[in-house]
Amino acid sequence: MRATASDHARPQPALSQGERVLDARASIEVSELVFRYTPSGSDVLRGISLRIEAGEFVALIGQNGAGKTTLAKHFNGLLKPTSGSIRVMGRDTRTVPVADMARTVGYVYQNPDHQIFAQRVRAEAAFGPRNLGLSPAEVERRVDAALELVGLQEHADDFAFSLGRGQRQKLAVASVLAMEPRVLVIDEPTTGLDQAGARGILELLSRWNAEGRTIIAITHDMALVAERIPRTIVVSDGLILADGATRVVLSDAPLLRQAFLRPPQVTRVAQQLSEFGIRPDTLTVTELLAQIREQEAIA
Amino acid sequence: MPVGYSIYVERPSYIHRRLDPRTKLAALVAVFVLALAFNHPAVLGGLVLLVLLIGRLAQVGWRSMAPFLAGSVWFIVLGVVIWPLYVRSGSALFAIGGQTITVDGLLFGLAMGLRVALMVTAAGVWMMTTSPQKLTVGLLHLGLPYKAGVAMTAAIRFVPLLNAERATIAEAQQARALNLRKGNPFARAIKSVAIIGPLFIRAIDVAQGLAIAMDARAFGVRDGRTSIVELQLTRADRAVLLVLLGASLVAIALRLLGIGLITRDYL
Repeated sequence: MRATASDHARPQPALSQGERVLDARASIEVSELVFRYTPSGSDVLRGISLRIEAGEFVALIGQNGAGKTTLAKHFNGLLKPTSGSIRVMGRDTRTVPVADMARTVGYVYQNPDHQIFAQRVRAEAAFGPRNLGLSPAEVERRVDAALELVGLQEHADDFAFSLGRGQRQKLAVASVLAMEPRVLVIDEPTTGLDQAGARGILELLSRWNAEGRTIIAITHDMALVAERIPRTIVVSDGLILADGATRVVLSDAPLLRQAFLRPPQVTRVAQQLSEFGIRPDTLTVTELLAQIREQEAIA
Repeated sequence: MPVGYSIYVERPSYIHRRLDPRTKLAALVAVFVLALAFNHPAVLGGLVLLVLLIGRLAQVGWRSMAPFLAGSVWFIVLGVVIWPLYVRSGSALFAIGGQTITVDGLLFGLAMGLRVALMVTAAGVWMMTTSPQKLTVGLLHLGLPYKAGVAMTAAIRFVPLLNAERATIAEAQQARALNLRKGNPFARAIKSVAIIGPLFIRAIDVAQGLAIAMDARAFGVRDGRTSIVELQLTRADRAVLLVLLGASLVAIALRLLGIGLITRDYL
């Protein structure tokens, strides 16, 4: 089964129309968002509408310059819409200062070196919670919990800059998690990490998501999206090209081609093997293997 | 020229295209000599106008030059407020708090403000009309070691880059609820550590990366270097240099004669 581009042209929220009106759980509601950096510049985002419910785990994919990061920076109000609107937990981002918005939306930057400045790991992780004005005891509790979650508790008293790249990335994540935001935006969480490091981060995000928090991850790593993230939004040239279940979106090669992307490698293999009864929307090696075993058993 | 980031703007003017960077550097030095030689506001004001006129001749817009003048306004205000307390010569105007304020004091204060305005505006026009590449080549011709030349060009090149880094870091820290607008100046200064710290480390990182990349491409293997920009002092350059030299000498002579001055007591 192949979905066509038009199937994904509009966002497809899990809820029906009637429920949507009443439901107040939506984390993020974007409507007709247009954005340009300078008044005379061209539109970077050209009319984006989408809705992300509380507790969702969403991947934003698209080629470089498609507008993923620009879109994500609207989620915590770092950028304000040129036209259209964006509401996060019911609040219009235009009316709330970024530092306040940070209470609700955590944003982890691509490069951990853009935020690490404290001497010790613990102090770095405590920076955000302290800015929120929490009591010292609460700050400590959150820092301990966040460092434990990313597996840095043993390094809590180490020098932040003596950590390796993967650990610094984890520290950057922990320092935002310690603020316990309801929504977490994470830009390229796996860049510069090896397979184990990338998996570690994704696993930790999955666990955090399981607690009912919303996560939006910008990424290029199709294999990790396929394995871990249930919903995928494809951004292309400032528009949403597709928005839906990861299985549907990532197995649609013609659609992805429009955004200069390709399905995960194992999906491409599966699609070549469709004449042998392998499903074309196979997303992981495990799935492919299970099907091959099944075929073998039949044979 | 697309490479090199500064306030330089390419314009098809004679001053941009034809005048040698060494000549333009000499012009800047001459303006500084003139600025220091006189301390009469009329002379200095006239020189400011002359610099603005040269800027217009080089097709630099009023809008690009205005910030330099606007930035100097504070110095004019400061000069007019402070200098009358020191310069007591000339006819008395009024007394305030036991201090007699004289006309000369006010004029000298105005002159000191205009002196800053003149130097700043001249430097601005100079930077807007001299491409960093050509300037570097010009300095190399004047005997600057080429490694120093590269360092200078790189420094100019890194200003916008580091500025972008600073913006990213500020965003990242704001996303961690850092509010730089809240609190008294002291509290805000302490808060800015969260931005200066990473910026410092990024700057070292970037510089180290550049050094390695240049070493990898055999930078420094040869003593001399070749350049794509060839410089030649033209007849016009020589004429301009002669005028600049003449003006500087005349200014120094006038200074010694006490012409164009409010007072001889101060520079």
